[in-house]
Amino acid sequence: MRIQTDFRKPLVFGLWLVTFLFTSMAIAQTSYTLNGTISDKSNGETLFGASVFLKGTTIGVVTNEYGFYSITAPEGDYTLNISYVGFSEVNQEITLDSNQKLDFEISEFSTELEEVVVTADEPERAILRKPEMSVAKMNIATVKQMPVVLGEVDILKSLQMLPGVTNNGEGTGGFHVRGGAGDQNLVLLDEAIIYNTSHMFGFFSVFNADAIKDVKLYKGGIPARFGGRVSSVLDVRQKDGNSKRFAATGGIGIISSRIAVEGPLFKEKGSFLLAGRRSYADILLKAAGEDNSVSFYDLNLKANYNLDQNNKLFLSGYFGRDAFELGESFSSSYGNSTGNLRWNHIFNERLFSNLSAVVSKYDYDLGITAAEFDWVSSISNYNLKYDLKYYFSNNFKLDFGASSIYYDFDPGQIKPTSETSAVNPMTLDRKKALESGLYVNAEHKLTDKLTTQYGLRYSAFSRLGGQAMVDYANNQPVVYNPVLGIYERGIPVGETNYEKGDAIKRFGNLEPRVSLAYQFNEVSSFKAGFSRVAQYIHLLSNTASATPLDVWTPSGKYVAPQLSNQYAIGYFRNFKDMVYSMEVEAYYKNTDNRIDYIDGSDLIGQNTIETEILNGESRAYGLEVLLRKNEGKFTGWIAYTLSKSEQRTPGGNAGGLGINDGEWYNTPYDRTHDISISGAYKLNDKWSFGTNLVFQTGRPVTYPNEQYEYEGISVASYAPRNSDRLPAYHRLDLSVNYKPNRKPEKRFKGEWVLGIYNAYNRKNAASISFGQNFETGANEATRTAIFGIVPSLTYNFKF
Amino acid sequence: MKIYIRTTILFLAIALASCSDVIDVPVQTAPTRLVVEASIDWEKGTMGNEQTIRLSTSTAFFETTGNTAVTGASVIISNDTSGDEFLFVDQSNGEYTTDDFVPVIGQSYTLQIIHDGETYMAQETLIPVTDITNIYQGREDGFDDEELEVHVEFIDPANEDNYYFIRFKREGDLLPELEVGDDEFIDGNEVDWWYEVQEDEDTDKIDVLQPGDVISIEMYGISSAYYNYMDILIDQIGGVGLFQATPVAVKGNCVNQTNPDNYAHGYFRLTEVNKASYTVE
Repeated sequence: MRIQTDFRKPLVFGLWLVTFLFTSMAIAQTSYTLNGTISDKSNGETLFGASVFLKGTTIGVVTNEYGFYSITAPEGDYTLNISYVGFSEVNQEITLDSNQKLDFEISEFSTELEEVVVTADEPERAILRKPEMSVAKMNIATVKQMPVVLGEVDILKSLQMLPGVTNNGEGTGGFHVRGGAGDQNLVLLDEAIIYNTSHMFGFFSVFNADAIKDVKLYKGGIPARFGGRVSSVLDVRQKDGNSKRFAATGGIGIISSRIAVEGPLFKEKGSFLLAGRRSYADILLKAAGEDNSVSFYDLNLKANYNLDQNNKLFLSGYFGRDAFELGESFSSSYGNSTGNLRWNHIFNERLFSNLSAVVSKYDYDLGITAAEFDWVSSISNYNLKYDLKYYFSNNFKLDFGASSIYYDFDPGQIKPTSETSAVNPMTLDRKKALESGLYVNAEHKLTDKLTTQYGLRYSAFSRLGGQAMVDYANNQPVVYNPVLGIYERGIPVGETNYEKGDAIKRFGNLEPRVSLAYQFNEVSSFKAGFSRVAQYIHLLSNTASATPLDVWTPSGKYVAPQLSNQYAIGYFRNFKDMVYSMEVEAYYKNTDNRIDYIDGSDLIGQNTIETEILNGESRAYGLEVLLRKNEGKFTGWIAYTLSKSEQRTPGGNAGGLGINDGEWYNTPYDRTHDISISGAYKLNDKWSFGTNLVFQTGRPVTYPNEQYEYEGISVASYAPRNSDRLPAYHRLDLSVNYKPNRKPEKRFKGEWVLGIYNAYNRKNAASISFGQNFETGANEATRTAIFGIVPSLTYNFKF
Repeated sequence: MKIYIRTTILFLAIALASCSDVIDVPVQTAPTRLVVEASIDWEKGTMGNEQTIRLSTSTAFFETTGNTAVTGASVIISNDTSGDEFLFVDQSNGEYTTDDFVPVIGQSYTLQIIHDGETYMAQETLIPVTDITNIYQGREDGFDDEELEVHVEFIDPANEDNYYFIRFKREGDLLPELEVGDDEFIDGNEVDWWYEVQEDEDTDKIDVLQPGDVISIEMYGISSAYYNYMDILIDQIGGVGLFQATPVAVKGNCVNQTNPDNYAHGYFRLTEVNKASYTVE
């Protein structure tokens, strides 16, 4: 009942807002609504972000994730214009004298006209009118134009070429947005939460480009319909599958191969897609007599079915797994699994809805043969969400909906694998939580030049009972020891048992999101935005880079939710008939309750996480510049980011000055300078070339600043946290794409892709470690570089 | 147990590391500190009266030369119950010794050092250790199931928190192998602790265990505070890679009473210790 009480206030406010807006915009004259779906003629895939507008007016809209559009205009005759990325424009005369449903299929440019010119996606030019900012959108066609350097098109690596997005060095998974941590990114694959985005420690991403339709990364200005992560939202949508004919795409590479098949179902009332990938380095390694091996595979599934004009069902799934074997002593496997059932329902020409039931799980299994035990851990969630979009008028559109996520955390279990094992079976406390959200968001065109977006999300989080929590002396799970000058684990004084029906702790947060766009003229605009986001679950990692074995933990009695405010302003301009575009953005964000780890924190098999952590804060600010050339034989961009990312953790309730004496220090994600240049040159129909050039300030790290003799060894003592830096990171990639001569009428199309990663073989340090030489005893610094020059060759095909 | 998981993560990193080399790196230099190696170890079956404390200073990280011995300090340990004082005599080489120490299991002691006009104090309790029940060799266990390892077996006392520090050193090796463990997951069980040497694949500098190798084994019972100290210290030996915790300046228990910021490195520990030697066959 408490939850409902918590909801009441924002709900009332939301209703008030809606009522206010609706009543304030009475319709003056007779208007009619046109709605429908825009899709690709060749395969029936619906198109997200296609522009639909009435020529000679300012009335227009872009299609939503499901290709749906709805526009309302006064009665009359119009020319309806539909355009999308590299597709031929469609102009159709219409007479608007009633509400109508019109679906369109549009054709790809190049296939029709044998045009050589590469045309960039419309949304990738600087979009001037929409208040949407801090968004990196890529459709798969663009990603595929970029150099393919490790044998496969990689969405995450492509995003890292954009301003404000970095990784944490080679050999690490995940990505970092505007100085945020990896666990602050909400990664959604067909709305299902993905907890680990990489295969083989970042060598590949979990996203199989053959199964992906488009990708949108919100670096800030996160719309009210998303919540739960403070740094960014990566919204990845899978293809629906070809509804016109059976088709297959695939690629054969040195490290891995992939295949995707798709086709119509139920007499073209539906379609399916099935895609799979597998690496075979493990097979080669084993054949070469190597004991250690690493491998991954994954499967993507999608199916949809049109019940009728207004109802459509989607089923999607993902299943991926990585496996490591280190001789016979250790084995490890981990992966994500997701499933999602969606129901699109169009209530009427103006009201679109989608109901989703989503399940996702991430788990790992560590087999330690040497000590005769298995260690398993997982996080699962069940998510029910309902999203609606109401196309009220040309000037006013409303998104609203609700979502609820039930989490089940299994932080770890030890299972002895033999009777002689010295290890006792053990289970860390399972943790359960419920995260709910209610939101309303308006896109409101105030004048022809000024468009705003404003919304509110109310999020509520309950850490559910059914477990006991340790109580500590003076309510201090961590205590400062003023004599020794260190933080120590608190003294347990008892336990409080929470019944299943009780909540251990509840949180509620109002999250306003506001942005506006002012269009100066046809080619330039100014945008500004503010967003507040709450994050209730946290990935525990005290290592320099997150590992696949890190564990998620919910907020609760001792862990507070992260709360972030982000402010951004930007200037957007198109040049020379849209051939060039420029985007400049500046941002500042701060995050409260960022978890930090006391010196010597021990997170492995830790049942009382609260004794290892303190709640701190972080802040980040930066300037991002993106210059693009969108058209011509040569396309590409230069991205530059100047930024700072810091954190600080005062002692608070634990006493003392805090971690690092309570001073601000660099987060591991701080990069002063980050320059990425990406270019593609299309020589002719057969040959095209690509290149990436990356330069980044080195990652903040901690080096020793002293040594002393103890227990017969030289012990290193370390400088303040992250007060040193690795050497600067830079790298050049090259790729060549060759499409053998082919007859246009032939369905089978093949291409060769040769890629060279790190072409000048720079030994970029992934880490530098310090220790004693075994023979001389002298201290030395050892650099570990993960990838030197890596050539790759792949043959891609489709038919 | 945790060591295994940590090691596994480390191994994953190594499996990835296609290339590592020694390079020159500029590092910061902190002010010099006093280093206290006050290890009062009572070997089972001895009187435990002869004890040595070593004092030295820290140096810049890459410094290789120089005498760091600290002489002229005053070093006293007192029994916190009886008030008996044991004076450690300056041997003018950084070592301070006594022949009169009286070890008592479970007894709390206080160390006082006066150096350069500053007084350092530390307090610690003498911790017992269970007996080693068996030492033998095998090949199947360990990280490598083809190479020799030496097993040390003992029975962890049930229903109490026990912390162990084990030091293996092969005759002829420059550096010892230091390990700590707690009984969180093995309480009351028979524990099989093994020692194996991994070959360094890059340099071939280190050999796996061979027949004829003589291994010295020292197994200490330690306090939970010293366990926490050594756990961090050992974790940071040999460098800190991608998947290890951010390294820190480890703080021991020798507190500078005169100027707290100028704390000393090292530790005042009191332990009972099993010492053994094993010759690999």
